[in-house]
Amino acid sequence: MVDTKIDYNMILRRYDAEAENNDSPEAIAAKMLPADEALKEVASAVLYMKFKDVGPAVTAALKTKEPLDIINNGLVAGMEIVSLLYAQHVYYLPEIMMAAKVMEVGIAIAEKQVPGGRATKGKMVMHAAEGDPHDIGKNIAAVMMRAAGYTVVDLGKDVPVDDVIASIKEEKPFMVSGTALMTTTMTAMKDGAAILEKEGINIPYMAAGGAVNRDFAESFNLGIYSAKAPMTPLIAEKVLAGYDWKKIREEWDSIVGGA
Amino acid sequence: MAKFTKLAYDNADDMVFGHSKKPVSYGCGIKVGAGYVIPEINYAPRPGTEKSVEKITKEYVEYISKDAIERALTLGFPNLQLETEWVAQMGTVPGMGASVVAGQKAITEKYHKEYGINLAVRHTIPDQREAEQGLRDGMDSKFNYPEKYWECCEIVCENGGDLLSVESVGGKEFADYAVTHGDITAFLFGVGYLGSIDMEHIWTEMANIAKKHGTALGGDTNCSGANVSMFMAGGMLDNDVQKTFSAVTRCISAARTLVAPESGACGPDKDCGYEGVIVKAITGMPAAQEGKNCQCAHADLQGNLMAQVCDVWSNESVEYHPEFGGSSVQCWLGSLGYECSLMNTAIATGQQKTLRDLYMLSDRTRGPEGYVLAYDNAWKVAKAIVEYGDNYYLRAKAAGITGAKIIREGYDKKELVLTKKQLDVLDKIIKELEALPDDEDKFYDYCTKKYKDDVPTFNPKSYGF
Repeated sequence: MVDTKIDYNMILRRYDAEAENNDSPEAIAAKMLPADEALKEVASAVLYMKFKDVGPAVTAALKTKEPLDIINNGLVAGMEIVSLLYAQHVYYLPEIMMAAKVMEVGIAIAEKQVPGGRATKGKMVMHAAEGDPHDIGKNIAAVMMRAAGYTVVDLGKDVPVDDVIASIKEEKPFMVSGTALMTTTMTAMKDGAAILEKEGINIPYMAAGGAVNRDFAESFNLGIYSAKAPMTPLIAEKVLAGYDWKKIREEWDSIVGGA
Repeated sequence: MAKFTKLAYDNADDMVFGHSKKPVSYGCGIKVGAGYVIPEINYAPRPGTEKSVEKITKEYVEYISKDAIERALTLGFPNLQLETEWVAQMGTVPGMGASVVAGQKAITEKYHKEYGINLAVRHTIPDQREAEQGLRDGMDSKFNYPEKYWECCEIVCENGGDLLSVESVGGKEFADYAVTHGDITAFLFGVGYLGSIDMEHIWTEMANIAKKHGTALGGDTNCSGANVSMFMAGGMLDNDVQKTFSAVTRCISAARTLVAPESGACGPDKDCGYEGVIVKAITGMPAAQEGKNCQCAHADLQGNLMAQVCDVWSNESVEYHPEFGGSSVQCWLGSLGYECSLMNTAIATGQQKTLRDLYMLSDRTRGPEGYVLAYDNAWKVAKAIVEYGDNYYLRAKAAGITGAKIIREGYDKKELVLTKKQLDVLDKIIKELEALPDDEDKFYDYCTKKYKDDVPTFNPKSYGF
């Protein structure tokens, strides 16, 4: 075997190490945590993924705060810092997933105190296409949507087109998404969109997943594209703001630019 | 079932591309691991062709297979392996799988007879079993996927498939959780332990079916676990999964993929199993690998390195479509075939170890996964596996700890650069794996309690418990 100690300068460059962000979560978050002590405790539990702390922190805060205040300015505020740390490459996917779970635990406690329940931003139906057992991307996107304040109806994987349509009719979501890792399963989304259009249900049909590209997603009416999970809430925000599938396509690059 | 407790290769340096300790023959004149490397072209049909038996058969046989074989003839390649990774419909629509298998057999025989080109078709059946429904026979009343799995095997063997393979999904419910939550214990439990148990179940029966028909039995891959981890770890600018985490999952996955040859598979194993180098060190079986010439499917950080000890060189998969230079399968086969020609020229001129080392060196420090898969390091992981070869749990744990320590050592001696986060995750992995019990039953009890709420789709009956 040859000597492995060679000059790698013109062979490869470790951009990941060069671009490393060595700031600590504590340093970045220090200026962003709520000033109020009770809300700070709640937000910190989310930020630092403290499953055991979030319940007591929310319960304590409920003694002096309104539940919606705790949700919006404690739990969601903590999650917003997590999202920022993710964008800055200080946090990674596991931190997002765990922080979102902590937030959901806290929300479940707080929203019991909200008369009539908590209003969400909107409801989205998500699934992995018929015949497709790959759903990890859909699961990540679902967490990110919930973390952003949406209600997700998760139909699971390998979902028949008819079941997707039935769920849309029942749940009346503002958007539906499907994912596929295979070229021959992604056509189920096209079929589903055709049925929706025929029945006059003009909601955007987001197509995503390893096999799906922008060309395919935009090859059928209602179809819009998402390249990765963090784009989903950005697009959802625009749909709620009144964008239809055509306008989402037109402005797609600027909408997802930050994802 | 006999398990591997010794390495096939006494020295890492004995491993080289194109040569395996146990060459295999099948199809129309194909010999793998017999002193040369063979290109394997893999493809996906165009969307919509799955709508009928006629359409998909035409796509696979008259377009894809014919295109690829004729390009091999055009460029003077002596060997070609086709790989059909079944689309879901081939296992569910009556007659679809059989039609494609028979059609591809007929066209390869025709060209072999006419031109003498050596040809074979690998059929990789879909493992659609779902944890939610159950992985064993009789558990999935909704889709009957476990039963359909055996039917797919039978269809391949009855209709002239040359090589039977699969990308099995046992333990995936834990692997998905593990990768998204950075939980190495969950990966060890799901892939290293449960995945191995599931592999023994399916591969024992696959061996029975293949033997009945005289079909060659290729191998498996932990595509559904370690590859998900690797793809999410991504390249230099990606930030979802730590590359040190991905590298350790790869080592653990080798202990699982090894179960296929222990159950009767003879290789070549599956191209996307980047753990193949570790498996080859243990079994001496030919390895199918992919890397630089699979950019049509994905990018990874060890494109050259993966060619180091391969016997079959693959493009992973490409959707059939036109390119300037012909159809996509023709273009990517050209890329594969010329790379194989280079490797075979190195063998013919006695320079195979030099080229092997150049492949390996060019990616050795591009990332932690390439580092641990460099053949000298991979051999050390293989050695750790066979030391505990009789026990699925202990050998998978040994693979993970050994791989993690190899990476740590590479960092300590300043051969491999790691970011602080990559290093933190690596140290946490070592600490966590070393703290696990040595007793299999205690490990099982620990994990079933720990993940009771986090992995609700786990059903012990899926693994015979």
